[in-house]
Amino acid sequence: MGLPQLVFFGVDFVSFGLGFLNFYALYLAISLSLNLEFGFAGIPNFGKVMFIAGGAAFAGSISGRVAAYVFGVGANQDFIIFNTQIISAVDAKLVTNPVFTVELVLLSILVAAGIGALLGYLSSYPAIRLREDYLGMLLLGSGAFFQVFLRTYSPLIGGAQNISVPDPYAYWSSLGTGYRDLVAALVVSAFAILVFLYAERVARSPLGRTMKAVRDNEDASRALGKDDAVIRRNILIISSAIAGMAGAIFTFYIASAEYDIWTRFAWTFWPFLIVIVGGAGNNVGVALGTFFFTLILKGLQQIQPYAQPYVFFDVNWLQDILFATLLIAILLLRPDGILKERPTPTLSKSKVSAMVNAVMSRGGGRQTEPEKISPLGLVRNKLKRLGRRREKSETAGPP
Amino acid sequence: MVPGYLISAVVYGTLFALMAMGLTLTYLTTKVPNFAYGSFVTIGLYTAYQLATLNQISPYAASLVAFVVSGGVSALMYVGILRPLSNRGTPLVALMIATFGIDIGFIGIFGIYTDYLQARYKLVDAKQFFSIPGDFSLLGVQGVVFVAPLVLALLTLMLFLLFTRTKFGVAMRASIENPPLARVLGINVERVYVVSWLLGGGFAGLAGSLYTLWLPGGTSTGSNLIVEIFASSILGGLGSIFGAVIGGLVIGGSEDLVTTGLGLGFGYIGAGLIATLAIFVGAYLLRKKTRGRKVAGIILGALGAYMFVEMATGFSTDLFVQGLVNGFGPDVTPFQKGIPLLIMVIALMVLPQGLISIRLRRAKK
Repeated sequence: MGLPQLVFFGVDFVSFGLGFLNFYALYLAISLSLNLEFGFAGIPNFGKVMFIAGGAAFAGSISGRVAAYVFGVGANQDFIIFNTQIISAVDAKLVTNPVFTVELVLLSILVAAGIGALLGYLSSYPAIRLREDYLGMLLLGSGAFFQVFLRTYSPLIGGAQNISVPDPYAYWSSLGTGYRDLVAALVVSAFAILVFLYAERVARSPLGRTMKAVRDNEDASRALGKDDAVIRRNILIISSAIAGMAGAIFTFYIASAEYDIWTRFAWTFWPFLIVIVGGAGNNVGVALGTFFFTLILKGLQQIQPYAQPYVFFDVNWLQDILFATLLIAILLLRPDGILKERPTPTLSKSKVSAMVNAVMSRGGGRQTEPEKISPLGLVRNKLKRLGRRREKSETAGPP
Repeated sequence: MVPGYLISAVVYGTLFALMAMGLTLTYLTTKVPNFAYGSFVTIGLYTAYQLATLNQISPYAASLVAFVVSGGVSALMYVGILRPLSNRGTPLVALMIATFGIDIGFIGIFGIYTDYLQARYKLVDAKQFFSIPGDFSLLGVQGVVFVAPLVLALLTLMLFLLFTRTKFGVAMRASIENPPLARVLGINVERVYVVSWLLGGGFAGLAGSLYTLWLPGGTSTGSNLIVEIFASSILGGLGSIFGAVIGGLVIGGSEDLVTTGLGLGFGYIGAGLIATLAIFVGAYLLRKKTRGRKVAGIILGALGAYMFVEMATGFSTDLFVQGLVNGFGPDVTPFQKGIPLLIMVIALMVLPQGLISIRLRRAKK
């Protein structure tokens, strides 16, 4: 018993869609968090992998230990050495404890967010003080170090041995094939939607505009009383916490904590590529960019078995070359990405037009239809009018 | 008899010095940190590997070929990709991302190339090979221990002469210092940049092919060395080629000496050194005026003191200190890559201009 299939051209579109959604939502969350720091605040975080892997590793390590402690499994055994037995015993108990499962996942994600935030706070120290090139080298180096650290430091996630993570979707996979992917996709999509709403909120908030001001002209924003150091630090903490949470959700999805998946190519370069393709500083653009990126990646995976017999090399290498070419082409031909960064309106479109209508109807006497002006244009006019009024009051002098 | 780790430190140090010199040379001209630089080292590795396994050519001879190949690829990358991008006014961060992307492209190319070697020549170890045998031996150690420092010294001398004695070298320095003014004086700045990218890539290829005589290599070897190369370059000040040489020697030497030394059972000495370093840096930071630095100084100093107490009482209840002390063995390797990173961070904090900025006291008068 599994999910129904929907096969066209030899491809099961249900399982393809679920795989697509799982990947899309995960990378959407990660790219949006990168967009917050790189697109809005202008911090080139070349160590993105570190924050994701940090969250994943700690969530993977702690969830298993907590669950084993609560269920009283493997009390006298070394968690790393007897990992497989302990986790399979935990999994069996998790199936019948849905409430605890949710609690465990939430706790681990919280821990991952904390770890991400901590790493973000640490990296804000150089991020405030260093120029982009020094910072990029330092963060890239830190990411590389973190991977070596995970591989060789065994107490955390078993080092090169890799450990299993309690599977919160164990109940769903017992229902049949596909259900696990479905529920996991729902979870990660919910997370991605939350991150998107948050990122959009930030973009429309004074904080978002301040970040752009700091990015574009540090001195001017400083002169206007904005503390660029605090803004950079806060945004690094927030986006690193998001990255950590994304890592934790991913580690629960694959139900294992591994060191060798955390390459700087898949977790730093890909998000950068997505942000560049979609348009830095534009959340909708990033969502579009993630979509195209996922489409290319998953599409290539579908084509791969057909192309493989014709060439002597592993077709997957072409993917790396393709992405590199894509990046260079975008930078050369369309450096602003699919969707350009635009000034973000502070109010929603409907609110602005409601205000416009109110103003127009109060205008009195005029029976003709008000001419159609775009909401942004109206805001601009309104600002102009306000400015004029202020000028008048200033010239009038004190009463 | 000279202990093995000292010899290893010499080789490491010289190779990193060569690589850092090349990276600095390219950074000086175009001001872009080249994240794909490690791949030029890999090109050198594979030039040596292919010539040694298929044509039985020694890596010493292959290093000349590697110099040309890596240098050519490097110059091509500059002319074909980076120059058009920077001519369009692409911001620095985007250029950095571009070099990052080129690195991933190189990974794909190396993958295809090694697949080809495996399919065509049945070389099963093409993805990950042991160090290439056949090096001559002198005084009981491998020849590369003498050749690598010699090459480094020769190249440094040649660069020095180039910069100070030749017209082209002076033109190069002028283009680095002030490109618009150099252009006004009729110097072909673009040609100077291409030459420096050629030399920069060439040094990486040279170092890569000497590397194969000493250590095993693979498709991601160069890419993984990028931390050490950056650290060497930054320690040298990122603005000075001769600083990069010193930086490379320090980084390569210390990474090997510190880890090997600790692994040999110098646990207490090593942990003590780290604790002392923590206290010293803490004391240095404590003198700073900002509160954040003061707090960091106190934390670092307290950490160092705590480590001393922990070691002195011999209880070693702390896992980290225990790991540091207990002969390290498998427990020190997690921090091996951390040593260049730590040096890089300290260099950025304490010596942002790099080692080259230290002047002897007498010179100050």
